[in-house]
Amino acid sequence: MNLFLLSHELCALLLGLLILLVDLWLPPSEKRKLGYAAAAGIGVLLIYSLVQFSVGTIGTQYAFGGMYVLDPLALFFKRFFLVATLIVMLMSVEFADRIEAGIAEYYALILFAMTGMMFAASANDFSTFFVSLELITVTFYVLTSFLRARLPSLEAGIKYLIIGALSSAFMIFGIALVFGTSGTLSFDKLAATLPQFAQNKIFLFGLLLVLVGLGFKISMVPFQIWAPDVYQGAPSPTTAFLAVGSKAAGFVLLLRVLFSAVPEVTKHWVALLMVLAGATILYGNLCAIPQRNVKRLLGYSSISHAGYLLLGISALSAAGQSAVLYYLSGYLFTVLAAFTVICLVMRQVESADVAELAGLHQRSPLLAGTMTLAMVSLAGIPPLAGFFGKFLLLKSVVEAGARNSGYYCLAFVALAGVVISLYYYFGIVRSIYWSKDAADLSAIPVSPSIKLALFGCIAGMLFIGIYPNPLVNWAGEAVKVLR
Amino acid sequence: MTPVGLEHYLVVSALLFALGLFGVITRRNLLIIYMSLELMLNAANLALVAFSRFNGNLDGQIMVFFIITVAAAEVAVGLALIVALYRKRQTAHVEDLTSLKL
Repeated sequence: MNLFLLSHELCALLLGLLILLVDLWLPPSEKRKLGYAAAAGIGVLLIYSLVQFSVGTIGTQYAFGGMYVLDPLALFFKRFFLVATLIVMLMSVEFADRIEAGIAEYYALILFAMTGMMFAASANDFSTFFVSLELITVTFYVLTSFLRARLPSLEAGIKYLIIGALSSAFMIFGIALVFGTSGTLSFDKLAATLPQFAQNKIFLFGLLLVLVGLGFKISMVPFQIWAPDVYQGAPSPTTAFLAVGSKAAGFVLLLRVLFSAVPEVTKHWVALLMVLAGATILYGNLCAIPQRNVKRLLGYSSISHAGYLLLGISALSAAGQSAVLYYLSGYLFTVLAAFTVICLVMRQVESADVAELAGLHQRSPLLAGTMTLAMVSLAGIPPLAGFFGKFLLLKSVVEAGARNSGYYCLAFVALAGVVISLYYYFGIVRSIYWSKDAADLSAIPVSPSIKLALFGCIAGMLFIGIYPNPLVNWAGEAVKVLR
Repeated sequence: MTPVGLEHYLVVSALLFALGLFGVITRRNLLIIYMSLELMLNAANLALVAFSRFNGNLDGQIMVFFIITVAAAEVAVGLALIVALYRKRQTAHVEDLTSLKL
């Protein structure tokens, strides 16, 4: 077996172990700086990935007897997770003074979660699918409740634990039924023999249970109940990582299962996918309106974005799939920018109320500007990344409308969702610039590494929005492996 | 007497799964909920082993080993969290988990 194929995962794992090991010899005052070492390691890994692997020549290669696949789609998501983790790591260094003990473990767990995500990007079998998903989920239980002296963090962790374990149980039972009826766990073999049991009720029920498990991961209605509570209670870097990494891992697995393992069944489930997408968009956007807590608001907003992403999946076309990849990339920079600002501004306060953003443009114009750009991008205003992503998703849905007129209704629901979302996103912008009752106007210090992360996010949002072509082409190349 | 067949195992597995789900929904104590969740996982394990045995395909049994290992890690983290909550609040009831709200 060619271990070179697994070099992303192996390097990430070794980096995590190294951080844990070095932690033993460092004096407590120096431990915080380990995060910079971890971020540098991720940066080197990203450069290595860009130099050693190229989308054009990688082709499709297998490891572990076909359980693990390295193809352009996997490569796209591996780099996606590397970029996301790099920014989250810089955010965690900033957050380190609020964690009483075990900051090195926090860094290491982030790296282990990233390893799980990268394995998930390459899953080509229900066993790698399950193990990688659990590696992500179990590390996130710990990351969520890391501030264990604070009740909200602990409570968020327990809620995530119970609901996450429940979703795993559904998923495993589904996998058992799929295995029992089809006799295989491999996605490729499943796709090859699918016509024999595509009508089998038990098989379809098993597949539905797997979909339930993934629905929890991507916070799809009706499995979204955990998201607002966990987003609110978890430490800010964890929330950011959950919003970007965990959701993207759920989507890459969803793409693999729906379009690589069971493409024929997916065609019969169009109506179901459309209803789920529409309900998720409306639920997320409507429930976000009354929220006063910024992190909770972003929790509901992330539910609605899961709905937009489902649009691309329900379109059942290569255009829709590549739009999902494009949208996730824009979402990465946007959400990480927003959470970096929240992480810096809500430093002393426990609650993260919208009112605490008041007067931010006087306290730190950079942070205010970044937050505004992030909100504008999330709302989908040109020329930022969020606009072009939504445009591509809607375009793929409208194109599919020629096959089934239900798509036009779905596009209308999505547009209504965008209009509703303008209200609450601009509520945040308003409280930054036009709020009168700012209690505290002291300047917020921004460290150079965070400045770098923020400028990276801003550049990402603008570049992806203004020059979408390179990314669109790359995403189009990546989804060619799906059926 | 009929020999024990695949369907018998599957019925037991489905019953265990349903019992576990019932426990998760109705019980109010976190430890019992967590126990019920483990029951659901083991129901799936039983189904996998039975399918594996009767289909003559060992993949399912390998999967069960993965599931047992992951479940052990999950229990370790889960119990640690529940203990941490108990130390903080002196309770392990879901009704008391209400600090996160609108």
